[in-house]
Amino acid sequence: MGYPEVLAEPGSRVLMLGNVAVARACLEYGVGLASGYPGTPSSEVVEALAYAASKLGYPYVEWSVNEKVAFEVAYGAAISGVPSVVSMKHVGLNVAADPFFSSAYTGVEAPLLVISADDPGMWSSQNEQDNRWYGVHAYIPVVEPAGAQEAREATLEALRLSGVVKHPVLLRLVTRVSHTRAPVTVGALGRPRLRGVFKSNPLRWNLIPAHARRLREELIERWRRIEDLVSRSELNVAEGPRDSQILVVGVGIGYRYAREALRRLKVHVRLVKVTTPIPLPSKFILGEVEGRNAIIVVEEGDPVFETMLKALLQEASLNTRVYGKRSGHLRPTGELRLEDVKRAIAQVLGLGYRGPELLEATVKPPPRPPVLCPGCPYRSVFYAVRRAVKKLGLDVVYSGDIGCYSLTVNKPFNAQDTLIEMGGSVGLANGMSHVLGDKVVIATIGDSTFYHAGVPGLINAVYNKAPMMVLVLDNGVTAMTGHQPHPGSGFNAVGGEARRIPVEDVARGVGVDSVYVAEAFNPRDVEAKALSALRDVGEGKVSVVVARGPCILVAVGRARAESIPRPSYAVDPSRCKGCMVCYKAFNCPAITPSGDGKVTINGALCTGCGVCERVCPFNAIKPASYVDKRWWKLLGLTESSVGGG
Amino acid sequence: MWEVASIASRESFNIVIAGVGGQGVLTLSRIIGEASLAGGLNVLVAETHGLSQRGGSVVVHVRIGDVDSPLVPLGEADLMIGLELLEVLRNVSYMRRGGFIVADKLVIPPSIPGVTVPSVDSVIEALRGLDVELILTPASEVAEKLGDVRVANVYLLGRALSKTRLGAIISFDSVARVLRGLPNPELNLKAFELGYTGGGFEG
Ligand code: SF4
Ligand code: SF4
Repeated sequence: MGYPEVLAEPGSRVLMLGNVAVARACLEYGVGLASGYPGTPSSEVVEALAYAASKLGYPYVEWSVNEKVAFEVAYGAAISGVPSVVSMKHVGLNVAADPFFSSAYTGVEAPLLVISADDPGMWSSQNEQDNRWYGVHAYIPVVEPAGAQEAREATLEALRLSGVVKHPVLLRLVTRVSHTRAPVTVGALGRPRLRGVFKSNPLRWNLIPAHARRLREELIERWRRIEDLVSRSELNVAEGPRDSQILVVGVGIGYRYAREALRRLKVHVRLVKVTTPIPLPSKFILGEVEGRNAIIVVEEGDPVFETMLKALLQEASLNTRVYGKRSGHLRPTGELRLEDVKRAIAQVLGLGYRGPELLEATVKPPPRPPVLCPGCPYRSVFYAVRRAVKKLGLDVVYSGDIGCYSLTVNKPFNAQDTLIEMGGSVGLANGMSHVLGDKVVIATIGDSTFYHAGVPGLINAVYNKAPMMVLVLDNGVTAMTGHQPHPGSGFNAVGGEARRIPVEDVARGVGVDSVYVAEAFNPRDVEAKALSALRDVGEGKVSVVVARGPCILVAVGRARAESIPRPSYAVDPSRCKGCMVCYKAFNCPAITPSGDGKVTINGALCTGCGVCERVCPFNAIKPASYVDKRWWKLLGLTESSVGGG
Repeated sequence: MWEVASIASRESFNIVIAGVGGQGVLTLSRIIGEASLAGGLNVLVAETHGLSQRGGSVVVHVRIGDVDSPLVPLGEADLMIGLELLEVLRNVSYMRRGGFIVADKLVIPPSIPGVTVPSVDSVIEALRGLDVELILTPASEVAEKLGDVRVANVYLLGRALSKTRLGAIISFDSVARVLRGLPNPELNLKAFELGYTGGGFEG
């Protein structure tokens, strides 16, 4: 994907995502290295930097194997004197937490900016954690912008702060900052620092207990200094009447909601915008609190600021009432909404507020959950694996994981009994395998997730003898977040060539004896190999099936780029018996009932993957146009497998 | 045709764009965003990414003018552009009374085996029962005739520009300029113009 706006002319005002504004600011500062692991809503930060790097030749940008490694990549560069950034989604910081905590002890030589994009509302995540707590927990200051323009300014300020105190800084973004496109005025690109020097100093860089104890004392000292600096930050500002009885504090994007709510309610009170919530900018806040009767805190996520503020007031012997999420005036779950903020402020001020009466239609729409795309190789794979399981009459548990295949939690596949965290499929399968007796455990994991955190679980299963089948869904990219490369892709973040590390080599390398590689678009091949693998599991083995076939979106794009025609498929109504296998069990969204008990294929949705032809027991589905052999090759199919259909 | 963008300094205009993943909801929202910015207006486009894009419901909020927060409050949308009618239905609670819904006469059944889907007529009837101005148009039909169903989105935008206050906020020309920068500009311009004049579906 292209991000030309990240290289917009200095001084121009362009529409960009908050994430891209962050990337732009990194270029303006002169960051020399950027790393990350993709995850919604964070991915565009590194993508935009990779785009810039492909045009400018700098900075160094990579997609790392997971967030911990990504963090260490940036950390290593920052202690070697190169300004660095690392980006991830909120739960990614859990994976990177170990080096994150240590980085506060050692500090850094050059700026280290840690970008965490939180997902309140859980649009694309398993939880709603507020990563500002990590700042409190690890003694790492948090900077939190209110929107896209502020994201540029906050990134620059965070990098400067990190450079001044030689300490990592956490930039906390949220979905509505990351993924809201807004006008941003940009500055000039800076000169990047690409080369560093490592000054050996074990007293600082080596955290043996004796060193760490001293560094802990220094950390607490440094934290006081940081508190003093953020208290004077120009990114925390106040507006509105000085003599107001009420103070509204908008933290990060909370400021945007608070400001608009006050304007719409036509209420004139003091409003403070806090961009540096952690550590609390105490002097600034106390200066604003003086003489007020009540404080309303508007923040996205947990009541982090609200909680800290209450502690500060207690220390200052003030008993000003504080309203927010702890007081029940704002919802503690989900995203902020303007109407909720308006209602909360009105309630505290004792104003009557009634929202508009909402329209409600008499007909309710059926749900429309996200589904596997038409032509997704995973549909073929799950269809085949379920058939193998049925043939052997096995009682199985599907230990699931995070990726597009998570969508097989729904009917008709029901193939994700658990979904916990990245790599959890294999890890949990270990425990299940030891205690579930006759049940067979199938861990399903995507290729990117396998490299990310699946490998240690697999090693553990081999070493500690936990029989299971590990189904690796290998579509060549990190598909769900936008097709970023991983170690099995063969190309890197900026489009350069890279050495592929195939999943099957990893599996064999860690001692798995039963390894099968199947063509994902050939359900018969997948079924045959799943049958063998499941028999191996019955003999107490750990078995790996790699189902390989490109993400259909990538295949379609490549076919277009290489002018390879794609076939279209059609149902022959004279042959169709209406068994509904293709619609109900295989469930391609392009196949729909035609009303006469048979089915029809929607040509606008059909990608031409051809799997339905192999699935139909009555040979009723056939290509309606010429099939180019190069298309089969693109899908990873061999001639023999196509011929067999 | 309106040349200059105009919106009173304290005014705002809220748009909800609803459809199904893959229909071009995001592209449409970006076009409106770019055209607004070109007219010197403040604009916020709150997008949907990731998992929620995979053939599921997609909704993007676009707020133009004197606004700070990115999401359209419930009951305050001035305009909904609907690329699919079930998604319109799903989002009616965003509509302000008397607001405009400009939508394609299209129902795409969700891909759930055995799901019951209300008929196009029953959906339209339900929408007609609401206190909104409903403008239905066979956008995808026209787009298909033009050769690419994906330009239904700009057809609907043309319709919205000529039939609602949006046309007084962003100009025809500023949209056309944005379309010229897209892949396949002729087709997009053609669909947009047809939508604007209401042509393309009499025959
Ligand atoms: S699987 Fe074949 S026979 Fe059965 S409904 Fe589909 S097209 Fe008809
Ligand atoms: S070829 Fe068949 S399975 Fe593949 S996308 Fe078209 S209808 Fe679906």
